[in-house]
Amino acid sequence: MYRYIFLFILVGFCSCSRSGKVEVKDTSGMHQASVDEVEKLVEKFILAESGSTIEIPAGFYEFNTQLIIDNLSNLTIKGAGMEETILSFKNLKTGGEGMKVVGKNIVLQDFSVYDAPGDGLKTQNCETITFRRVNATWTNGDKSENGTYAIYPVQCKNVMVDACKASHSRDAGIYVGQSENVIVKNCTAFGNVAGIEIENCSNVEVFNNKAYDNAGGILVFNLPNLPVADGKFTKVYKNEVYENNHINFAVPINESPNGNTVTLIPPGSGIILLAAKDVEIFDNKIKDNKTVGIAIANYHITGFPSEAPNWSPFSSNISIHDNEYKRPLSPPDLTKDLGKLIAAKNAHGIGKTQDIVYDGFWDDSISKNIADNPMNICIQEAEIENMYFTRFDLRKGADAIEAFKDYDAFVCDYDVKTNVQSIAKL
Amino acid sequence: MRKSVLIIVCCIPFVINFLQSCSKKIYSPEQINFEDVPYKTLSEYGFFEGEMKKMKGKERVLAYEPVSSLFSDYTEKARFVWMPEGVSCSVADSEGQTLQFPNKSILVKNFYYTNAEGGQQRIMETRLLIKTADKWNAYAYIWNDEQTEATYKITGANIPVQFTTDNGEEYNIEYIQPNKNQCKSCHNQGEQLMPIGPKVRNLNYEISYDDGKRKNQLAKWIEMGYLKDGSVINEVPCMVDYKNKSADLELRAKAYLDINCGHCHKANGPASTSGLFLTYEQEDLTKWGVYKPPVAAGSGAGLLTYDIHPGKADSSIFIHRMNSTRAGVMMPDLGRITVDKEGVTLISDWINSLEP
Repeated sequence: MYRYIFLFILVGFCSCSRSGKVEVKDTSGMHQASVDEVEKLVEKFILAESGSTIEIPAGFYEFNTQLIIDNLSNLTIKGAGMEETILSFKNLKTGGEGMKVVGKNIVLQDFSVYDAPGDGLKTQNCETITFRRVNATWTNGDKSENGTYAIYPVQCKNVMVDACKASHSRDAGIYVGQSENVIVKNCTAFGNVAGIEIENCSNVEVFNNKAYDNAGGILVFNLPNLPVADGKFTKVYKNEVYENNHINFAVPINESPNGNTVTLIPPGSGIILLAAKDVEIFDNKIKDNKTVGIAIANYHITGFPSEAPNWSPFSSNISIHDNEYKRPLSPPDLTKDLGKLIAAKNAHGIGKTQDIVYDGFWDDSISKNIADNPMNICIQEAEIENMYFTRFDLRKGADAIEAFKDYDAFVCDYDVKTNVQSIAKL
Repeated sequence: MRKSVLIIVCCIPFVINFLQSCSKKIYSPEQINFEDVPYKTLSEYGFFEGEMKKMKGKERVLAYEPVSSLFSDYTEKARFVWMPEGVSCSVADSEGQTLQFPNKSILVKNFYYTNAEGGQQRIMETRLLIKTADKWNAYAYIWNDEQTEATYKITGANIPVQFTTDNGEEYNIEYIQPNKNQCKSCHNQGEQLMPIGPKVRNLNYEISYDDGKRKNQLAKWIEMGYLKDGSVINEVPCMVDYKNKSADLELRAKAYLDINCGHCHKANGPASTSGLFLTYEQEDLTKWGVYKPPVAAGSGAGLLTYDIHPGKADSSIFIHRMNSTRAGVMMPDLGRITVDKEGVTLISDWINSLEP
């Protein structure tokens, strides 16, 4: 009981969830594209041919229809710069995404996409697609009505996301879904619910990115019942993942999570793995995330049905090593169940931020004993004895949650193999 | 001298008339030069007899009607198919569903309100699907206010219109004609532009023709030379008409979702990313959305957990999205800005009938 009173006091003092500043560029001094210029640009997208370049001169363009590239090859769409060419989809009355691209050997560069009702920039069924210095954002504050994904390649092969910016999406800023051979590098994601999310992808490297002021910094998820059933082989390295303490605005404040997995993310999460396979996390700076630095979770924790064909709900073959951690002074999140669990039940004391948490579901057809490390979760951190590591056991239900500090079973080496050589020069 | 002037003056009206009749070329689909397509105006194709706005197809411009129809902001649709002489459709897949059209096939679809401003009929647009070099192309024509002509437009348009529905409800909306590339947001099969309506199971039933006779549409197509093999008439059952209240509720719901959602929500459609597959033939309950959490629904999920919560229409994301007119939330996300109230009732009834 004392412990809970202490917790409430802590909450009282530290309702210090960052509500997030929205960086809104003043576009009033920019060239405002005329109705005619806007129409001409829509026409350019429709009449574009393979092998061409669509240049978008500097200016602020407001569309009432979507920009779509329909299955072209060797096409470049090029603005005058992220800050110079702004495409606004605020006035869209139908259609979800602002820009949608399908094709082969596509380069999108040097422009911004604002305020699309659904996804900012979606590319689907693309083979070899590059996003370079592209920004996608929402300018009305962090609202649950904001669009879903800012930069959204899905069902693509050979994806390069380089030096892009994604902010204020009510789901994930940079979301790569159901794709193969992926690099996300040198990007900045902030003010989103999730900064960078890799979902049902294989052969992925995420490096040199900054993810800050999101509710969750970087996520590697595998969700059930999708055409690309599962994903594996992801490396997350040399990223700065800090101060991801933004409120989770995927649903309005005080509302319960809905069926979107992202609504479950507790603010203050650095990196979260969910049903992830063959993931290596190393050389990252994981700092001042108030709930947890790295969480290794299994799909069971969502409470959703966790059986699906060709897919496993368990996270397995995980290698975490050589990261830098810093815990902030503020206590963990209490707005989401996973936050409450960590705050109240971790193994190091109530209200203590954790560096690494393992939710502790495992496939007992492999071994009945967690000491055998059946899911091959490997942690090699220099300071592990000074870190806050918690393994939960949630299998006996909410009334009998157990938490353990002991990390010995998980000290091991595991090499995750990725090969993105072929797309490194995109 | 005077006499000849008089003769000339008298002849002027005839000359003018003659010149006019020369300049007023009579068009017909047989004369279409497919290399010049798309024409600037709809009249140049010559699909219709007499006044174009009466939408009466010429002899080989055959009306057709899928048994269940996509909701498009309460518009009525007058659809026609035309093929050159000597070629015909074949049935393309093993399920006997898809019709493989020959090159130079044209599908014509007019969107109109029977009861628009002043109780008048108003045609909004005519969309053409034309197949050349083994590829379909989509061209949309916007009708003028005088209803005498429709003009090709690729960038889409927002057109204010007032209309009254069959139930007497009045609407005042901005009808949205999609831009050319948006066509493929629905007409998409593995990134190839494809027709949606003309499938065997959608056409295999009787309609009334201009001669006043009722006939099975596929039988009529065979009679016209538009379809070769009639065996599918007996082999492939027709989908139900979702508006037919005496039909089975589940089949009606599935027909509605097929024609309104299944073009995108299928294995080789753009919405396959969601893992939600809504074609008439789908039998896997999870793929239908039963107890399935959304993937990329964003604000479309509202405060709800499952696409379909059996027994609870109000807690199902389906109903939430069908009831919305907000871009980003509403489904379908193109082709409507009003709520299909009858559709919502149908799908709600069906979800409520499902055992939890």
